[in-house]
Amino acid sequence: MTIQEAAAALRDKRITPQELVTSAIARYDRMEPTLKSFIALRPEYAQLRAEQAERELRLGRDRGPLHGIPIAIKDLFAMRGVRTTSEPEIFEHLEPDFNCTVVERLENAGAVIMGKLNMHELAYGITSQNPYHGAVRNPWDGERSPGGSSGGSGAAVAAGIIYGAMGSDTGGSIRIPASFCGCVGIKPTYGRVSRHGALPLAYSLDHMGPMARSVRDTAIMLNVIAGHDKKDETSARRPAPDFVPAPNCSIKGMRIGLPESFFLDRVQPEVETAVRAALAKAEALGAEIKPVWLPDMNAINAVAQVIIMSEASAIYEPYLEHRGRFGADVLMRLDQGRLIPATDYINAQRLRRKMRSNFNRVWSEVDCLIAPTTPTTAPRIGETVVRINGREEEVRLATTRLVRGFNALGLPALSMPCGLGNGMPVGLQIIGPEFEEAMILKVGAALEDAGVKIPVCPMR
Amino acid sequence: MRDWRSMAKASGIPLSQQELERVAGPLDDLEVTFRQLARDLSPDLEPAIGFHLEDQSE
Repeated sequence: MTIQEAAAALRDKRITPQELVTSAIARYDRMEPTLKSFIALRPEYAQLRAEQAERELRLGRDRGPLHGIPIAIKDLFAMRGVRTTSEPEIFEHLEPDFNCTVVERLENAGAVIMGKLNMHELAYGITSQNPYHGAVRNPWDGERSPGGSSGGSGAAVAAGIIYGAMGSDTGGSIRIPASFCGCVGIKPTYGRVSRHGALPLAYSLDHMGPMARSVRDTAIMLNVIAGHDKKDETSARRPAPDFVPAPNCSIKGMRIGLPESFFLDRVQPEVETAVRAALAKAEALGAEIKPVWLPDMNAINAVAQVIIMSEASAIYEPYLEHRGRFGADVLMRLDQGRLIPATDYINAQRLRRKMRSNFNRVWSEVDCLIAPTTPTTAPRIGETVVRINGREEEVRLATTRLVRGFNALGLPALSMPCGLGNGMPVGLQIIGPEFEEAMILKVGAALEDAGVKIPVCPMR
Repeated sequence: MRDWRSMAKASGIPLSQQELERVAGPLDDLEVTFRQLARDLSPDLEPAIGFHLEDQSE
């Protein structure tokens, strides 16, 4: 069931919120020993929230489509009275006495937050092999990575334990697990969703966003969490529209850009095949597919790397005197950031302004872009090098290559499943102009309606 | 290319030889791309981060 279907079943009294929570716990009990997607499940709290939702719905106090729906949040979102352990040893005593804005809005919408989800340490990596909470497994194949850093979010949603999850994306951390696990995830425009109360990795690149089983479910969650928040200085004042695409929405006449150069240069053949098949569907729906030229994405990626390393190291340097507390990969990246001169950081932020301006010219030619999310399907856990079209590449660099630049540009980007390659999900990315989430969600929903989707994960 | 070893030492970052090698390789690669980009910046281009007093006062 999707959120939309569960919400309809709740209102038709075919099911109760308590039953939704009970079956989520049953799925957790069955799958979690393998998946390791959760850090903390809160069954008693979830049942209390479900009872409250049932009572409210019975009395006609309907809070909307998330009312009574079991979801979970990545373990970097502050939740009152719940330990937040993005990095367990540093934050072992961090038990916030407040809710972050995202949690506040989700709970006000009646969502039942089942618990906190596993993630890559500090959200600074793409494997979700957490040294403290174990390696999250991909529900399609337990020997493969779920991606990261929101790996627990992607795995738990794809496995069907929960209906939706919150993730964060600083260099692809929502879209990568969405691609590897076969679910939908959106990195909204920078400023669209409040960062207040979410442990930061890089202030100017961090984006908070939802992950779910369908495009419309993702939009339902975005509807709840988007909008100005005075507690986040970078929060946009632009009003949030209704993001949920209409039934049978049309993309006829839309101009969809295909940036073949860079985005299809080095991808696995099965990934290219699945993405091109989705583009053919878009064309059959009446969209115009236009090849486009984009500014140098390698340069944008380099700028994003300088920024993420500088900001992350500035944040976590005070804790680095306890070097043994960090996983080796995170420690290495934090050390790298400490060696980048302040002048490079400032210049990266200057280049970012110039690149944003150059990139935005593409929107005079096309309405959105479609590209692969990741150049490969999920690698095996522990695999560090991947071979693509005969060329070896470090897994981390390959996996972030097609997503990282859009964090520096701040543009909204949706990842959705578009097929299977060797039995594993392939992710497609739809990128739009600033604050055009509704448009890219509409494109995604139209494709999904036309059959661009994958079978239900076999683990369910 | 920057001398990462000297920079680490001057900054008081305790890196072993093995750690230094792991840290330096990716930084060398990044610097090759980044230095070329930064060379073309014009002085009037300001960073994409700001201090918005008018927003805070609202």
